[in-house]
Amino acid sequence: MTARGTPSRFLKSVLQNGVGRYVCQLKRISIIFSKKGQGSLGIRDFIEEGVVDYAKKNPTTVVYVSPQPCRIPKIVAEYMNGTVREEIVTNKTSPQISELLAKMTNQSGLDIIRIRKPFHTDSPSIQGQWHPFTNRPPSIDPIRPKKEDSQ
Amino acid sequence: MALTRGAGLWRTCCRLVPRQPLLLSAAVRTQSTVSGDLLPCPVQTSLSSPPWQGKTVLVSEEEERSRHAAVVDTVNQLIHKQDFGRLFAVVHFAGRQWKVTNEDLIQIENHIDAECGERIRMEKVLLVGAEEFTLIGRPLLGKDLVRVDATVIEKTESWPKINMVFWKRHRYQRKKIIIQPQTVLRINSIELAPRLT
Repeated sequence: MTARGTPSRFLKSVLQNGVGRYVCQLKRISIIFSKKGQGSLGIRDFIEEGVVDYAKKNPTTVVYVSPQPCRIPKIVAEYMNGTVREEIVTNKTSPQISELLAKMTNQSGLDIIRIRKPFHTDSPSIQGQWHPFTNRPPSIDPIRPKKEDSQ
Repeated sequence: MALTRGAGLWRTCCRLVPRQPLLLSAAVRTQSTVSGDLLPCPVQTSLSSPPWQGKTVLVSEEEERSRHAAVVDTVNQLIHKQDFGRLFAVVHFAGRQWKVTNEDLIQIENHIDAECGERIRMEKVLLVGAEEFTLIGRPLLGKDLVRVDATVIEKTESWPKINMVFWKRHRYQRKKIIIQPQTVLRINSIELAPRLT
């Protein structure tokens, strides 16, 4: 299967992140789980063990914990650029959930699609674009049309 | 009709006539290479001699040395005054070479052993160039000469690549979904120390 038809984008960052200082792009996290549900067992463990540590470690992220009667526990992450990403955490254990949260914290909220080039630059050429006469020694004659050989 | 045929004939004649000496000369040349280099080049083409007609002027050693010293001196002065413009560098990172300048983004297809927001230094610098001069390492430039800094700004995952194997008429198919870790780096600064030996 070729990747030509898939959606793609170029490499970019949100609002020149990292030029001055780095800003964590994860704005808000809401953990939605059930107090009784079987699938929410792991996330209840995580809320007992790891949520406070996570919130302390990431002071720029708001963490909501909302117990509600639901079958599918999930984590909803909102990013600075407006992206909302839902992750379903049914039957996941506490370390798995903390790993998932760490991954979501490190992401920037841009689409996860094919990236066309692994680099991006705003100033593509510093010394000027190369052409056949760059670095041509001046001892060589200037370029002129070739003389026709007499036959 | 007759006219067109005549023209066709004329064309074939034209094609035949210059080809015969060409073939002959080729035969002669193969023989001559066996016996010894007798003929320089029987067919003159645009590539048989350099376009500048072999008029290279050789410079004496002292002259060359003085020119080299002048170049090094001017580059040293430029570096000392720090009035080169934007710098670019070629760094070796994650198994490949990247041409980077300030505020560039590069993305590597692997995770990196640094947290988001940490600043790392790229130590394998192969080349540094400004608008007026270029410093080329043999193969690397010294750590005290150049300093290229980068920040980890994103650690994410690639899009799910589908690796499909299908063997027709054999009821065989395998589908593998590959997700790689990716890291995006921002180049913060390229600094050149004010001394060149």
